[in-house]
Amino acid sequence: MSRKLTTRDETSLPNSGPLGQFNDQVASWTRRLVRPAGVHRGAGRMVVALLLAIALFTVLNPRVFLSPINLQNIAVAAPEIGIIAIAMMLVMLTGGIDLSLVAIANFSAITISTLHTAIAANDPDLANNLGIVIVLAGIAVGMLGGAFNGFLVSVVGITPILATLATMQIYNGMAIVWTGGSTLYGAPAVLGAIGQAAVANIPVLFVIFIITAVLVAVLVNRTALGRMIQLEGANPIAARYSAIPRRMVLMKTYTVGGLIAGLAGVLFLARNPTASADYGSSYVLLVIVIAVLGGTNPTGGFASVFGVVLATLTLQVVSSGFTAIRLSSYEYAIAQGVILIAVMIFDAVSSRRTKRPKKTNRAPRAGASTPQTALTRT
Amino acid sequence: MVLLRRFRGANNEGVLALVLLALIVAMSIANPTFFSLNTAFSILRSSIVPVIFALGVLIVVITGGIDVSFAAIAIFAGYSTVTFCLNAGFDPGLPGIFAIAIGVGAALGFINGIVIAQFSLPTLIVTLGTQGVFFGAMYTYVGASYYADLPRSMAALATSNLFDVTTDTGRAYLHVLVVPVLLLCLAVAWVLKRTMFGRSLYAIGGDIEAARRAGFQVKRTQISVYMLVGALAAIAGVIHIVLSRSANPRDLVGGELDIIAAVILGGALIFGGRGSVIGTVLGVLLVQVIKNSLLLVGVPSAWLRTAVGVLLVLGVGVQAIAAHRDSRRMRVIQDLDAEHKQEQKVGS
Repeated sequence: MSRKLTTRDETSLPNSGPLGQFNDQVASWTRRLVRPAGVHRGAGRMVVALLLAIALFTVLNPRVFLSPINLQNIAVAAPEIGIIAIAMMLVMLTGGIDLSLVAIANFSAITISTLHTAIAANDPDLANNLGIVIVLAGIAVGMLGGAFNGFLVSVVGITPILATLATMQIYNGMAIVWTGGSTLYGAPAVLGAIGQAAVANIPVLFVIFIITAVLVAVLVNRTALGRMIQLEGANPIAARYSAIPRRMVLMKTYTVGGLIAGLAGVLFLARNPTASADYGSSYVLLVIVIAVLGGTNPTGGFASVFGVVLATLTLQVVSSGFTAIRLSSYEYAIAQGVILIAVMIFDAVSSRRTKRPKKTNRAPRAGASTPQTALTRT
Repeated sequence: MVLLRRFRGANNEGVLALVLLALIVAMSIANPTFFSLNTAFSILRSSIVPVIFALGVLIVVITGGIDVSFAAIAIFAGYSTVTFCLNAGFDPGLPGIFAIAIGVGAALGFINGIVIAQFSLPTLIVTLGTQGVFFGAMYTYVGASYYADLPRSMAALATSNLFDVTTDTGRAYLHVLVVPVLLLCLAVAWVLKRTMFGRSLYAIGGDIEAARRAGFQVKRTQISVYMLVGALAAIAGVIHIVLSRSANPRDLVGGELDIIAAVILGGALIFGGRGSVIGTVLGVLLVQVIKNSLLLVGVPSAWLRTAVGVLLVLGVGVQAIAAHRDSRRMRVIQDLDAEHKQEQKVGS
């Protein structure tokens, strides 16, 4: 953890003289080129896993698995899960977790559906014209939900897992009360059009997913806020002594997470013009699985958006591959759990192996772990 | 003042008891039918399964972990035991049924424990994974059908009551299974307070590294903790099947977070090292009373989830703010002391 940071810091020290500066520039370019493949272990590993999964199911049942409809289905089903996983990754980057993301997404979808139905009852044309505004209102609701999470975590100081556990219950409960437990029908026509449309055979939903991923990647890797989020997650004590405004960073992270979840709610509706309080209840687990598979460190500090995108695709491929070879969704649930635990064990074993050469292994590790536990208690 | 502090308890149990009492009084005033033996017994009956789950969660939370797979373990153990008995066509009697279920539950808990302890992985994520595995495995390998006929010994237990009181509002029954639950609570409280094993749980939850250096067998303890949770969950699973008089594989899973919320409300610290059986039982009772009273006041039961969520935010939020203030206050006292000394020096 600390090793990675120091090497990066050393190489980014400015050299004196114009030639030195040029040298630095070239070095940083090459590093940018090499980094995606080399540094992010999550991404590199997921490329292999994705190819393996595709190869496996192609061999087992090529006729069904490689059919255009199946591939189309993967590209349409992956975005909503992937976008929530990206939001989860962002929050995990600060060392937190957000269990309420799926509830927020449903809340946003319900808001859009209700607003549309209410306006359409008086004037259907007006409702379709206002489609964009209604969608933005839904996303704003998601953002508000995220901001409340951020308030509880940063200002009140509740542990993220408890705060979002509670808000998950609250948002979900409110959604149940609002819908009366039934499924709402109706969504702006714009969304239906987006859900059906495709650019060069690639569904627009998938394009939205990729755009979101790129935007979040830019936020994390190229902005000051992104760097502060990473540092806060990597070492909160060091972040505090570096005058990183913890409250502001957490507040913004959870708000952005809520915003992205709101967008996922829009995709729910675009795929299927229905909204209900308990849609995608299995996503809560799935999204954490995807984030961790994609190389996100659950204790914070390290993550790769590219890895999360690949992990989403891999799990979607496995899911549809299981259907192609006629395995049940319960067997898919087993596979999910086994993959998650296997990857975590693999990570734990490989990180232990890199630490082993030092004979005085115990002392530095112990020293590193005590301040962390001390911090989580304050 | 001392008396007040003692009543408040180490984990705010007294405050919780007062809240519970206030709620009961308020409900009884709002709706006199609430205050009856009937309601009391039915609340007790509906708390039987949550209390056993909560004891298991409490033990894990004290060690600084969290377990979300207990509901999957419970239904796996209970359902597969019933399936086994029905398919084999013999009834091993209540002790036999509980023994089989506890064995299955402890074995599943052992899987959790060995993965968590051996590789020191985050408990939440491991148990999320195993939850999916256990649930999927039950459906794939044990079965997915609903059994309305239980083995005879279980069916007999379902209808046996401890008390059978006739009051003016009707007959009130107290189910006999309240007794073993009470014994279980006492046993867990005794283990936590009076045995080396119990104290080692608090030590690990307080600071795992300190516990290791003090000579506690951290890995072994962690594995036995998750086995114990599996065993408790299995008991709860069998009792749930007995009380609902049917074995439905879709039951229980999905309610994990409500139980965890009740345990946290009961004063257990999510980081570990704090928590008591009394607080946990009060937390579960509080949630059950709210569940019961919402209906009586005329609030739709759909609000229950929101109510539990709000309660959790309030409970944990107050704790967090208090902890924040405490840490600040300590610093101020130190500063004052330092200033005081400096003044003395200047004065002399």
